[in-house]
Amino acid sequence: MNLDYSVIYSKLPILLHGAFVTLQISLLALLIGMVLGLAGAMCRISSNRVLNFIGFLYVWIIRGTPLMVQLFILYFGLPQLGIKMSSMSAGVLGLAINTGAYVSEILRAGIQAVDTGQMEAAQSLGMSYRKAMTRIIAPQAIKISIPPLVNQFIMTLKNSSIASLVTITELLRTGEQIIYTTFRSFEVYTTLAVIYLIINSVFMVIANQLERRMAQK
Amino acid sequence: MKHMVEMENVHKSFGSIEVLKGINLVVDEGEKVVIIGPSGSGKSTVLRCINRLENIQAGTLRFEGMEVNNKTDLCALRTNIGMVFQRFNLFPHKTTLENVIEAPMQVKNMDRQQAVKTAMQLLEKVGLVDKCDAYPHKLSGGQQQRVAIARALAMNPKIMLFDEPTSALDPELVGEVLAVMKSLATDGMSMMVVTHELGFAREVADRIVFIDQGVIVETGSPQKFFEDPQQERTKAFLSRMRY
Repeated sequence: MNLDYSVIYSKLPILLHGAFVTLQISLLALLIGMVLGLAGAMCRISSNRVLNFIGFLYVWIIRGTPLMVQLFILYFGLPQLGIKMSSMSAGVLGLAINTGAYVSEILRAGIQAVDTGQMEAAQSLGMSYRKAMTRIIAPQAIKISIPPLVNQFIMTLKNSSIASLVTITELLRTGEQIIYTTFRSFEVYTTLAVIYLIINSVFMVIANQLERRMAQK
Repeated sequence: MKHMVEMENVHKSFGSIEVLKGINLVVDEGEKVVIIGPSGSGKSTVLRCINRLENIQAGTLRFEGMEVNNKTDLCALRTNIGMVFQRFNLFPHKTTLENVIEAPMQVKNMDRQQAVKTAMQLLEKVGLVDKCDAYPHKLSGGQQQRVAIARALAMNPKIMLFDEPTSALDPELVGEVLAVMKSLATDGMSMMVVTHELGFAREVADRIVFIDQGVIVETGSPQKFFEDPQQERTKAFLSRMRY
C-alpha cells in the first residue's frame, strides 16, 4: 500500500476553489429553487385549475426524470434549438429547477399539514385569505417544513456534483482533474468526500440551531 | 327589536348529503339562542353558514337586514360576527396577547398600543391577564377557550357564535368557560350557542332551538322547552340526555 496525501496538500488551493464553486452553484440553485418551489406550492394549493395543473406538471416531470438527463437537455440539447447558455448557467438553472420541484412538494405538504381550523379561525376574525395565509398559515407551515427542507438542501449540495458532467469545474471535476495528473484516485476521492461532509455538517449544525430556536416558541 | 340574523329556508349540502333542509330562524339583537340536537343534526353547520365558512345552496341569509350573498364582502361581514370553535383554534405561534391583538391590528389597522390596551381589558374579563405572554400549548383547554373568546371579542362583534365551546374540554374545565359566556350574556351580547350543556341552556337562553336531521323540530322558551316539549323527537332526545 502506498498512500501519499502530500499530493493533496499541494493541490489544496485548487480543491478549495472547487469547493467554493460547489457552494456557489448549490446556494444559487437553492435560492432560485426556493422561489420556484414557493411558486409551485402556491400553484398546487390554488383553486385555479390551470395553475393547479401547471404545478402538477412541473413536479411530475422533474421528479420523474433523472437530474443528469435534465442537465443534458439544458446544456447539450437546447443549443440545437438555438438556446445556448454557459455551463454555469445551465448547471445552476438545472439544479434550481430540480430542487424547486421537491421544495414545492415539501411546502405544499407543510401548508396542508396546518390544521384547517387555523384558516377558519383567521377568516372568522375577518382576515382575508391572503392575510391568513401569510400571517397565520405560512409561519406554521415553514416550521413543519424545515426538517424536510434541510434534507433537500443537503441533497441539492450533493447533486451539484452531477453538474461536473456539463463541464462545470466544481469540486468533483476539480478532483478528477487532479487525478488525471497525479493518478492518486483514493487520496483525491476520499478528500472530496471529507470536504463534502464538512460543508454539509456546517449546513446541518445551522439547521439544527434554527430548528431548536423555532421549537422554543 | 332589530333582527341580527335571519335565515329563510336555508339549504346546505355536502356532496349528495343534505345537511340543512330548509332552516328558518331569526335572532334579534341582544337575544341568546341556544341550539341543541343530536350529533350530525346540522346544528354546527347552521352557525358556519352565518359567517359563510360554508356556502349555502338555497334560501336567504340576512345579517342586520342585509342579504349575504356572493357579492357580500365576507371579511367585513366576519368582523361583525365573532366565532368560538370547539377546538379553540388559537394561533400556536403567537402568545395569548398576540392572538388577541392580531386581528384588530391586521384587519382594523388598529395601532399596537390601542390594540394591546383593549386586549388586556378583555383578558382581564376572561381572567387571563397573567397568561398574556404564554403560548397556547402552555395553557389548559379551558384557558385556551377563554383566550379564544377574548380574541373574538377583540373585533368588537355584534353577535357571538359558539360552536360547542365546551365539548373538547375536561369536565372540570367546562365551568370556567361557561362562566365567561354567562357574563357575556349578562352584558347583553347577542349570542348563538351550539352546546350539549343543557343546564347552561336553561339558565342563559332566551330561546332554545332543537334541530334534528337538518330541520328545526321545535323552538321555545327554556321553561316550555324543557318542561313541556311538544314533539316526540324532542321528548326522545331530552330523555336520552337524562335531563
